[in-house]
Amino acid sequence: MQASRARLFKEYKEVQREKTADPDIQLVCDDTNIFKWTALIKGPSETPYEGGVFQLAFAVPEQYPLQPPQVRFLTKIFHPNVHFKTGEICLDILKNAWSPAWTLQSVCRAIIALMAHPEPDSPLNCDSGNLLRSGDLRGYQSMARMYTRLAAMPKKG
Amino acid sequence: MDSEDDMHDANDVDSLDDFYSGDTGMASDDGDGDYEFIDNDTDDSDDSTSHRQQQNYTILNEEDIRQRQEEDITKISTVLSIPRVSASILLRHYNWSVSKVHDAWFADEEKVRKAVGLLERPIVQIPNIKELTCGICFEAYPRDRMYAAACGHPFCGTCWTGYVSTAINDGPGCLMLRCPDPSCGAAVGQDMINILSCEEDKQKYSRYLLRSYIEDNRKTKWCPAPGCDFAVDFVVGSASYDVSCNCTHSFCWNCTEEAHRPVDCSTVAKWILKNSAESENMNWILANSKPCPKCKRPIEKNQGCMHITCTPPCKFEFCWLCLGAWSDHGERTGGFYACNRYETAKQEGAYDETEKRREMAKNSLERYTHYYERWATNQSSRQKAVTDLQQMQNVHIEKLSDKQCQPESQLKFITEAWLQIIECRRVLKWTYAYGYYLPEHEHAKRQFFEYLQGRAESGLERLHQCAEKELQVYLNAEGPSKDFNDFRTKLAGLTRGRCLVLHL
Repeated sequence: MQASRARLFKEYKEVQREKTADPDIQLVCDDTNIFKWTALIKGPSETPYEGGVFQLAFAVPEQYPLQPPQVRFLTKIFHPNVHFKTGEICLDILKNAWSPAWTLQSVCRAIIALMAHPEPDSPLNCDSGNLLRSGDLRGYQSMARMYTRLAAMPKKG
Repeated sequence: MDSEDDMHDANDVDSLDDFYSGDTGMASDDGDGDYEFIDNDTDDSDDSTSHRQQQNYTILNEEDIRQRQEEDITKISTVLSIPRVSASILLRHYNWSVSKVHDAWFADEEKVRKAVGLLERPIVQIPNIKELTCGICFEAYPRDRMYAAACGHPFCGTCWTGYVSTAINDGPGCLMLRCPDPSCGAAVGQDMINILSCEEDKQKYSRYLLRSYIEDNRKTKWCPAPGCDFAVDFVVGSASYDVSCNCTHSFCWNCTEEAHRPVDCSTVAKWILKNSAESENMNWILANSKPCPKCKRPIEKNQGCMHITCTPPCKFEFCWLCLGAWSDHGERTGGFYACNRYETAKQEGAYDETEKRREMAKNSLERYTHYYERWATNQSSRQKAVTDLQQMQNVHIEKLSDKQCQPESQLKFITEAWLQIIECRRVLKWTYAYGYYLPEHEHAKRQFFEYLQGRAESGLERLHQCAEKELQVYLNAEGPSKDFNDFRTKLAGLTRGRCLVLHL
């Protein structure tokens, strides 16, 4: 408990110090609970998520960093490895390939990388996965772009 | 312990896959040639008690296992000139096959090192400064409180301990532990574990290492009996799968079900599945009693042998299996012991379709019942014989020794007879599973099988009768009986003669 708190505090200070280090990621700690974090990440360029801003919710376990944080999308996203309803993410480093040397910041970077390089062979969103697997890149991109516009962009007017 | 060669050869049989998938045993088309009942009435062979085949397996206790593991590690460590910990990691990676490690290592050492995570030199040099930052908690510590695997990535003692402990408590995967740095694949071996872990975790790790030596190795298995800690080292490619553990449990090495020679594993699997699926039906079909064929009073069988005598005044003697008169059985009447036969009811005349189907269903259930009943009866007879043997060894032998003024060493023939009964009951039991799956249309094969089975059954019946009932006379005698030596000769003869030698 103490170790995880200390480690999260280090990460918190690091985030404060290098606020502008990575313009694509904005990590925010909950005001009252250091085990709850949110992040805003920018959709990577040259993907259907470009121009969108996606919100992630982190629930950090007491055994952190020996156990991985639980992360999910709060913003709706059409992506093969993200559950369309719950926002759950299928990413190996959040499960069995976790290493305590990862940080919340590096998890965000990994999720951005996942948005740019979906893994249609282990889909949480089968519709999305099937589009990619059947080679319908256009179909996948237009669906993803539509949801990016609907959910991850500021409403016009 | 076996010789070293022995250990290695069996370790590396590459044809194992064929071996497992192969259709073994009697169900194959030329099954007849595969087995043989030797029902030796004339007793002319004096080696018939040596029916135990040459032992093709070794039972290992924990001490033996550790010793073998250490020897293998020493071998690899010496030949490859690498530390023992590295040798252990390598062996685990190659499922504890010494020769596979040799082959892979000498083919491409660099590739092996990379795959397993054995580095020759550190990836990062620890900078020559007073304090280092731990890669997990991000605190700065003096150099002497930092630890690193061969790669050199430094982490503090507390974080290492947590990392290692998490891995160990996650299961046997801790044997393949790597450096916490995500980009680094350096292996973390038992030396690190011993420095960094608490006593409990060290014990767990060492337990996993020991288990891995048995479980990941294709020629060793744990004895499947509950609570048994012995392992079995099996000479792969041996003729017989039967293994008898030091805990007295005997099982088939291939499928780890109880020993079932002469029936092959797939038949046993089918049979067990069938029994579990239909056992509920069977329960009421095979209620624990049968009516006496003469007086119709219900009789519960609570002794091992098939020769039943109804209580007075009826006193009818009959065979428990076929409910026929006992006088029709045995060679004395010129007949034969035929209750292992099952004649499928002949269907005559033209039935309409539903009638036919109903008849078929009834037949198939009856047919199954026939074999299941005999299988189950032999099973419970065997169970009974096991208890009887214990009783014999614990109580009766001593009593008999007193009564008949015979030293106990002279009464060994009785124990041997009972061991023989137990083994024969086991074999006989499985012949019924075999019989059930023997194709109906192969008449010659079926007849030959039933003939052998019948001979085996009647022989065993005589032996069981002699060991169980005739012995009672001498047990209850007032003083030494003068014909006790005759009894010895008879029982020993039956024991030898009755042994079923089944060559698979």
